[in-house]
Amino acid sequence: MSNSTFLIIQQILDCINVFFVIYLIGYSSFLFLSVVIGSSELYRKKRQERFKNSLLRDYYIPISIIVPAYNEEVTVVETVQSLLALDYTLYEIVVVDDGSKDATSRKLIEAFQMEPIRRPVHRKIKCQPEEFIYESSMYKVPLTLVRKKNGGKADALNMGINACKYPYFICMDADSVLQYDSLSRIVRPLIEDQNVVAVGGVVRPSNSVELERGRVVNYQLPENILACMQVLEYDRSFLASRILFDKFNGSLIISGAFGLFRKETVIAAGGYDHSTMGEDMELVLKLHEYCVLNNLPYSIKYATDAICWSQAPERLKDLCKQRKRWHLGLFQSMWKHRVMLASPKFGAISFISYFYFLLYELLSPFIEILGVATMVAAFTVDLINIPFMLLFFLIYAVFGCTLTMTAFFARTQTVDLKISFIDVLKALFLCFFEITVLRFILAFVRSTAFIGYKKKKLNWGRIERKKINIK
Amino acid sequence: MVETLIYTYLAICVSMIIFNIVCIYYFHRRDKVLLRCNNRFVEDILKQIQLEQPDEKHLKDLSKKLTKVNYLMAFDEALERAYEKDPDRVKTYIRQLSSVFVYLTLEYLKKEKIKAAYFPYIINKYDILRGLNITLVTDAMLELVKDENLYCRENALQALYSIGNANSVLEALKILDKSEFYHYSKMIYDGLLLFKGNRLELDEKIWENFFSFHTTMRVTLLNYFRFSSGDYCEKILRIMIDKKEEDEIRYNCIRYFARYPYEPALSFLYDFAEQEQPFWEYTAITASALASYPNEKTISVLKVLLCNPNWYVRYNAAESLNKLGLRYEELIDVFEGKDRYAGEMLRYRFDQKRLAERRNRYE
Repeated sequence: MSNSTFLIIQQILDCINVFFVIYLIGYSSFLFLSVVIGSSELYRKKRQERFKNSLLRDYYIPISIIVPAYNEEVTVVETVQSLLALDYTLYEIVVVDDGSKDATSRKLIEAFQMEPIRRPVHRKIKCQPEEFIYESSMYKVPLTLVRKKNGGKADALNMGINACKYPYFICMDADSVLQYDSLSRIVRPLIEDQNVVAVGGVVRPSNSVELERGRVVNYQLPENILACMQVLEYDRSFLASRILFDKFNGSLIISGAFGLFRKETVIAAGGYDHSTMGEDMELVLKLHEYCVLNNLPYSIKYATDAICWSQAPERLKDLCKQRKRWHLGLFQSMWKHRVMLASPKFGAISFISYFYFLLYELLSPFIEILGVATMVAAFTVDLINIPFMLLFFLIYAVFGCTLTMTAFFARTQTVDLKISFIDVLKALFLCFFEITVLRFILAFVRSTAFIGYKKKKLNWGRIERKKINIK
Repeated sequence: MVETLIYTYLAICVSMIIFNIVCIYYFHRRDKVLLRCNNRFVEDILKQIQLEQPDEKHLKDLSKKLTKVNYLMAFDEALERAYEKDPDRVKTYIRQLSSVFVYLTLEYLKKEKIKAAYFPYIINKYDILRGLNITLVTDAMLELVKDENLYCRENALQALYSIGNANSVLEALKILDKSEFYHYSKMIYDGLLLFKGNRLELDEKIWENFFSFHTTMRVTLLNYFRFSSGDYCEKILRIMIDKKEEDEIRYNCIRYFARYPYEPALSFLYDFAEQEQPFWEYTAITASALASYPNEKTISVLKVLLCNPNWYVRYNAAESLNKLGLRYEELIDVFEGKDRYAGEMLRYRFDQKRLAERRNRYE
């Protein structure tokens, strides 16, 4: 290799080096800030509860729970049963069967003695037509089943919005279980602030958690290593970015597994988008855009104590599928709402939230792969200090582990979950593995998400369903 | 530079983990100490309730200890436990503690608001100062009603409802009306319904000041009257027919007459239903209210509303016709009529009624 080529390579590597230094400083600072702020917020909430800074009575805000379902015959009956056991008075359940090929509708009709009804649907948002509607008034709250032509999850949710009758709706997955007090907790931000248009709840993996009438009776980390690592990952991400973004009304995502929305605003903004895979994120971005561009006072909140238990994939194949789908959804949503990029009108939403999602979520798999490729390249031309690189990597891993463990402790401690010493050790070991191995596998998987994505347009993103462990 | 930064962050995170572990240990220890304290309070209370009056030493001891919020919490639990054993005597004992709580008022007013909120919570929970008109306490509660912390405000309001002084409650409403902080309307009118003093006196004072409140508060107060008494039909009718009034206020007047049927209001309700209104809400709410006025004209008005282009008007009209208990034959003109949407809406209501009847039979 000639000297000039060598110099050029060295300069390129130097530039990449500087980029990575800035990138890592940004990322570490963000993670650090969010975990510190998140933990303090959880402790503040715990303290508030202790000193009875809470609602002494139930102020029921009418809520419609929309459960979109596609081939959910294994879990749908348990899900509805758990919803009927919620500790709340004024709500209805609307299950939307998106043209399932299995016995989803039949199972529901039989289990809840539902009857056919000729119910007119107020079609405020476009969606595929209904095939039949069943209702049951045998339970403490009205239960409705709308069977419609297949159109994807977003379409099913739009049908749910059209069919439901209350001013606020909750969207959730058919394989999830809401904790008994989740509704009374998720409505609190609405009572505290009249401008709230959406509230996100906390999603926690339900693998190995035993629930009885929506109450956790036995909590332990899952035996499945992959699910266990996701518990740590969920704790970190829900504790980290979401609480921090909440501080400046900058939340860009409310999980599709558990979120509450003001129906009127969602309808005005156009409802869920059929054309994106991440309809949950797209809706939140849409709400920001709609409210900001129309100068409407609004806020999007995060309820740290409203919990939904959801199944985390236990097979690597399912996890990869899920993450690819999420990544595509992220890309589609961000692209669709690119007007928010570097726009002073959107303020912190643009310059902090949108920028963070762009750099540290959307582009991160590519940047991480570029990092690995650079290291390999530098190694081949003997331009790398291996002991320093290993030390740096170790510091990074320990830093990540510390943050994960901080989030894990804060989360379990503030919601009064008891964890065994074995689980603490398990968490400690697995968070190291998650940061050093799983993260890179998922970075690679996410970077390949775009391959063949057009074909998957209305795919429901199936993962293997298991019976939920509820009594 | 990166390493230094990461090492710094790492050190802070490690200290956070240590903080978490220390917290776990501290909470565990604190719970143990509070339990011991709680047990001592229970023993004391059970001893004191045997006496005609709690002795001076006990009252002094309480005045000193309960200034700490942890002790107040332990005392709260102890009262609950003692109440289970001898409810009547504990009730009398609690009433005899009023002097202690008057003394504590100023102490708690000085505390951090998150802690201060616990004090009105206790006053309300045990009705400690019910019927006692002590300016020092009511002024302190009104001070807390001004606070930015919603829960502090709400606990103070609950304490005022429990004390039962109409003037103080009216003062609190005025503070909320002028306040820059949002206070959920349902919390206010639900709270007013819990007022433990002279309800008539309170209503009178509210009416005297009704028109000095802003729209949001007036809507809240109308909701309160709707759930508290049917004695204000005349006053509310005057507001409903006043075209200069805000629409939100007039909607609530219509709702009032849905709950308390009042013949003089009926002709105005028909007007809302039949004449073109500035907003469809008038017609939709009236369509619901008419269910409380069963007669031939109501039925014919509702049948017309069933063909209204607005979905909500049709929905409410169908519900009202259903509530009026009409049979299929009486509505055949709608079922067989040209307006498919009207027929569909009514059919749905009939189906729903059938399901409800089935449920009743099942129960």
